[in-house]
Amino acid sequence: MKAYLSAFRMRRRMELQYRGAVLGGVICQVFFGLILVAVYRAMYAGKPQAFPLSHITSYVWLQQAFFRMLLASDPELLDKIRTGSIAYDLCRPLNLYGFYYVRIMAQKMTGSLLRAAPMLAFAFLLPEGWGLMLPASPEGFAWSLAGLLLGLLCVSALENITMGFTMRTLDSRGMQALLNLLMMILAGNILPLTLFPDSWQRVITLLPYAQLLDAPIRLYTGETPLSAAPGILLIQILWTLLLTGAGILFWQANQKRIEIQGG
Amino acid sequence: MNTIRLYLHSMRMLIRSQLEYPLSFFMQTLAQLVMEGGEMMAVILLVDRFEHLNQWGAGDLYFFFGLMSVTFYLTECFGRGITGNFPYLVRTGQLDTFLLRPRGVLTQVMCSAADPRRITCIAVGIVALVLGSRLSAIHWTLDRVLLMAEAILCGSVLILGLFMIEAIFCIYSVKSIELVNALTYGGRSACEYPIDTYPRPLRVLFTVFAPFALTLHVPGAVILGKPLFDWPMWAVWVSPLSGIVFFAVIRFCFQRAMRHYRSTGS
Repeated sequence: MKAYLSAFRMRRRMELQYRGAVLGGVICQVFFGLILVAVYRAMYAGKPQAFPLSHITSYVWLQQAFFRMLLASDPELLDKIRTGSIAYDLCRPLNLYGFYYVRIMAQKMTGSLLRAAPMLAFAFLLPEGWGLMLPASPEGFAWSLAGLLLGLLCVSALENITMGFTMRTLDSRGMQALLNLLMMILAGNILPLTLFPDSWQRVITLLPYAQLLDAPIRLYTGETPLSAAPGILLIQILWTLLLTGAGILFWQANQKRIEIQGG
Repeated sequence: MNTIRLYLHSMRMLIRSQLEYPLSFFMQTLAQLVMEGGEMMAVILLVDRFEHLNQWGAGDLYFFFGLMSVTFYLTECFGRGITGNFPYLVRTGQLDTFLLRPRGVLTQVMCSAADPRRITCIAVGIVALVLGSRLSAIHWTLDRVLLMAEAILCGSVLILGLFMIEAIFCIYSVKSIELVNALTYGGRSACEYPIDTYPRPLRVLFTVFAPFALTLHVPGAVILGKPLFDWPMWAVWVSPLSGIVFFAVIRFCFQRAMRHYRSTGS
């Protein structure tokens, strides 16, 4: 356990190294957020919806702030497989899956918190109807924090399954790009899931991708009533367990047929 | 003429070299399709829920979306040299080799890369254009076709100019500036919707500084029969040329900056 913890810490420290580079990215992300909010505002002006505009703008800002949680991958593993230095990792007295799981989790968590803090501060300062609303209720906020943590566990498990695919072929850019895109669409990054047709939402919100950010955001805005919160968290827990289990089996199968390149 | 032949020849070679790995190429092209398809689905779902955006109906919005995707991805496909790793060439000093050859630097950069994977994005854009033109019942005449061609061409030139900004910054400070993405990719995302969607500061940004509105939206709106401004027809024809003017200014800055170019070496 201690070994995993220190792997986590090392990765976190590494992610914190490039604070300067983060700033440019954050400003870009804020700009994209403003554009999206402007589009939804204009749409709303024409035809108001059942839920208030502030839900949508908050959804946009929270998605933008935790963008890095969705799209952060570990390029080192692929390099290691290509060059054969994966052999070193196999020598470690650690489970390979667990080792990479904590690494990716550290990267996703640190990377997104680093970006989320300034972005959310900015979004709070924006005027009503542009920015981020306060959480619907203190209880809802607590539930959404728990949901966000489960979302992090879930997305790390998903990322490891993606990496499992990349272990199988040496050039996996296409596969990785496809899985990432699927995630962006079904996690609500391209279009808030609350704006999908209601009949689609019933299915989409049950998929693993909706557990990453959509579920905690809905708890935050109060879109999900408090009474339904435990049920939502249960779905998140189930998906996390399922994806982690599937990932472990997948990696074990991969490890059996791994070939060390070298020379 | 010689330059154009050279360019076409390099495009052929670059595209052939990418096709050498058919499976990887196929997967990446498919990924592009999902990406642009996802963007279009977002517009369709928004239209489904909200029905219209200001005076623009479903067909109009698809048309503007298609106009932007076709323009942007044609540029990415055939101008990948500039839209891709131009700043990287400057940063690593690889631009040095270009200075030795008896051709202009920009010509050589244009000839250095192509991105045929974007073909599926262009296809999505064409589908959106056709769908939009059907739904909005555009009455196509020769001058409308020509106006659209002018808009796409000038829009492409504008996008090339925008991507060159980062390369110019790189000549002075080796660090790359992510902020320019707000104009390039941000401009693409924003101007998929007509310019009157946005509040004043964004309107000014995308009309005066990065004139997407003048190159794409003004002619687009006229083709749809709902002009944005009460401009005479000649002004509508002149308006997209702002993209070329923009490129000319940036090109001038680039030539000036190249005098300061010091190779970073290896």
